[in-house]
Amino acid sequence: MAAKLPYDKDDLTSTWTYLEAGVDKILRSLRDGVNMEDYMGLYTAVHNFCTSPKPVATSFGTSDGQHRGANLGGEDLYKNLRKYLQYHLHSSVANSLSMPSEALLSYYINEWTRYTSAAVYNHHLFRYLNRHWVKREIDEGKKDVYDIYTLHLVTWKDVFFENVQSKVMKAVLNMVEKQRLGEVIEQQKIKSVVDSFVSLGLDDTDSSKSTLEVYRYFFERPFVTATETFYKQESQQFMSDNTVTEYMKKAESRLEEERQRVGLYLHPDIMSTLTKVVTRVLVGDHATVLRDEFQKLLDLDRQEDIARMYKLLHRVKDGLDPLRTKFEHHVRRSGEAAIEKIASEGEAVEPKIYVDALLGVHTQFAQLVSYAFNGDTEFVRALDNACKEFVNTNKLCKEGSSKSPELLAKYADNLLKKGPKAVEENELESLLSELMTVFKFLNDKDVFQKFYTRMLAKRLVHANSNSDEAEISMIAKLKEACGFEYTNKLQRMLNDMQTSKDLNANFKAFQEAMLDGEDLKQAVDPAYAILGTGFWPLGAPTTPFIPPPEIIKTYERFQKFYHEKYNGRKLTWLWNLSKGEIKANYIKGTKVPYTFQVSTYQMAILLLFNDSDTNSYDDIAKATALAAEWLDPSIAILVKGKVLLSTPADGKPASGTTYALNYNFKNKKLKVNFNIGVKAEQKQEVEDTHKTIEEDRKLLMQSAIVRIMKSRKKMKHVHLVQETISQLSTRFNPKPGDIKKSIDQLIEKEYLERVDDDELGYLA
Amino acid sequence: MAEKTGTLKLQSSDKVETVVDREVAMRSVLIKNMFEDLGSDSDDFTNAIPLPNVNDSVLKKVIEWCTYHRNDPPSSADEDADSRKKSTDISEWDQKFMQVDQEMLFEIILAANYLDIKPLLDVGCKTVANMIKGKSPEEIRKTFNIQNDFTPEEEDQIRRENEWAEDR
Repeated sequence: MAAKLPYDKDDLTSTWTYLEAGVDKILRSLRDGVNMEDYMGLYTAVHNFCTSPKPVATSFGTSDGQHRGANLGGEDLYKNLRKYLQYHLHSSVANSLSMPSEALLSYYINEWTRYTSAAVYNHHLFRYLNRHWVKREIDEGKKDVYDIYTLHLVTWKDVFFENVQSKVMKAVLNMVEKQRLGEVIEQQKIKSVVDSFVSLGLDDTDSSKSTLEVYRYFFERPFVTATETFYKQESQQFMSDNTVTEYMKKAESRLEEERQRVGLYLHPDIMSTLTKVVTRVLVGDHATVLRDEFQKLLDLDRQEDIARMYKLLHRVKDGLDPLRTKFEHHVRRSGEAAIEKIASEGEAVEPKIYVDALLGVHTQFAQLVSYAFNGDTEFVRALDNACKEFVNTNKLCKEGSSKSPELLAKYADNLLKKGPKAVEENELESLLSELMTVFKFLNDKDVFQKFYTRMLAKRLVHANSNSDEAEISMIAKLKEACGFEYTNKLQRMLNDMQTSKDLNANFKAFQEAMLDGEDLKQAVDPAYAILGTGFWPLGAPTTPFIPPPEIIKTYERFQKFYHEKYNGRKLTWLWNLSKGEIKANYIKGTKVPYTFQVSTYQMAILLLFNDSDTNSYDDIAKATALAAEWLDPSIAILVKGKVLLSTPADGKPASGTTYALNYNFKNKKLKVNFNIGVKAEQKQEVEDTHKTIEEDRKLLMQSAIVRIMKSRKKMKHVHLVQETISQLSTRFNPKPGDIKKSIDQLIEKEYLERVDDDELGYLA
Repeated sequence: MAEKTGTLKLQSSDKVETVVDREVAMRSVLIKNMFEDLGSDSDDFTNAIPLPNVNDSVLKKVIEWCTYHRNDPPSSADEDADSRKKSTDISEWDQKFMQVDQEMLFEIILAANYLDIKPLLDVGCKTVANMIKGKSPEEIRKTFNIQNDFTPEEEDQIRRENEWAEDR
């Protein structure tokens, strides 16, 4: 080591004088650059001082005594450096005192940049100290010794930061306020301050880690407070000068602006606090005013504004509850109004118009829920509740909630029935899905079931169902909504029809094998449907009937065939639902004879005229044995259709009137349908259906009660009622009074017993 | 970050200049930090880097080691703490490298400490440790040419205090 050193490596004062000159240059004029000789010289000076053997006795604390063996000099350099940094920073503070806040902000940033880059240099130049003395001190648990870079930061915080931070923050907040008012600012400056404050967050327990404490306390806190004050003032002012919808736009853009501000120059840590405060001031504090506007927006269908209100209030805790209540109320009233409108056009409403009105309201608000309320499940529930209300209770349902299911079932029948109004198959599927939307809102699903079953039975028996697939699909939908039990009978009915088809084919083969050619020619061409007792809502005929001899042979043959196949089964002939076609060969004037489509009763009447051109009412009654309630309307239709001519001409079907065959019958069509249901009959049927529903409900309630008690054995009266209601609610809403009656009946029948005053027991 | 390619000139205390690959020189944390601080684009780097505490013969040895170990992965902090301290294993190449006279050995250790080349410092210290291992105080004194400055009484007391550590 030949080079001569510019200092005495064994002497502190001499070494430090050399080092201080270098450090000072780095701190003050780093921009001018440091040359390699100086860099190496300073590093070497620290190294040499620390490695040169010197007496152990120095003045720093008691720990020195523990440094046995290795000499880790360096403490003095550390202390001198700290003293120098303090001195340096104090002079910076002195410089800043007279500065206005804007200038100070720039000064702070410049000083910070300069100081921290110098700190990196010094950290490297004093690396030897870091590696040995500092490391040893930290390893021994000294809290107030830091590596050289951290020492710079700590000193900065203690000296410069402490003295200027409040002024710096004032400048920052001024700038932010200017920006909020629309001015362009140098936001990079704020970003620098943020970075500086964040860097100063040192973990007391471990200086190698950093915390956000300093930033939170000195930046975040005043920033959030200033933001709150600003928006409190602004929002009040804006609200008093503008409409609520304008205010919502403003609030929305302000919220977005603050969110972006965080990304632009703030630390992400502030996001949640800032958002919370801004939301409270801009939305929470004005929530009542906003909500008061909601009804108006609904009335005007201002979907965009509604969506905005939803988004704003969504941010506030419980902010949406009042909206939901209002929304539900509004939907219900809209539904009721829609029904009132069609009800004003007459009591007898077309099922399609009714269902369309219900659906219209639901579709409108379902769309609103998905557009403006973001499909919020709570709002979906509110919509459903409202729909449930107006579907079951409205002007047309005055007498009770069973009107809706009846109309809906009729609508389903119209869709599924063959007829001039029948819709395309692909359209049908979507209409059925819509129908199910309404169905789900029905309280009295059992009423729907009753009507639907009857109508399905008719469609099947009269073979005028539009499409088998549609029938199956509809039943599948109902099954999905209400379960197997609900559609069991419907399914069985479809199955019966399928089985009957096969049976007819078998019977045809059987008949061909049994009969010779002559018999075959005379035989009618029959079709049979075997309907399982109990599944079909069809009653046996209420009148005696003597079938015409022409068909007796045929049907007896079938009976024989059937009994051979299924021994022991009883066949009941539903003549009231049977029909046939007969050819009117007697009428001259057409090349092709007319074909009459008639009920079996009418067939029996007409066939009498094969033997005699005139028959009296009494003759007919005697020959057919039909009761007047069936005979009279059947004749009336034939008379009205001019197949029969009555004498006297205006004679009512009664004893004394005679009928003659009209040889001059004329009609545009070759096939004429006389098998028309009687109006009075239909009305009667509706009433009957409603009546059976009451009966069925009693049974449903009783069986539910027995089911529950069988599994529970003992139960309080109140709980039993509740449980019964909940079990039956998918079908209808039972009244507690009716359940009580059912319970009493069950006690009478000794299914249940009273154990205590209000406790019931099950008797096996 | 500093470029890894290119060359640098190093100047020893006895003013001898040696050209080395940058990558090799960067094994020294001192040089690496300086290179980064002063900026790789600085004109300064056409001049030799003065290393006032290392003479030419030692510097050559250090460069030899750095060249061989130029691609070693940097050791992690955990390794630093455990395996380095525990093991006195030295790779074959390093053992051969350290077969120098005692004075050179200590010079290398001092240079490694100065230049901040931790792995080299470790190898040097381990070599010294291996020289001590299994030797009696007298043998150690002989190896390192140390004069016994204990009085017989002092020595006796120390021996008694450390009796527990003796091999029997």
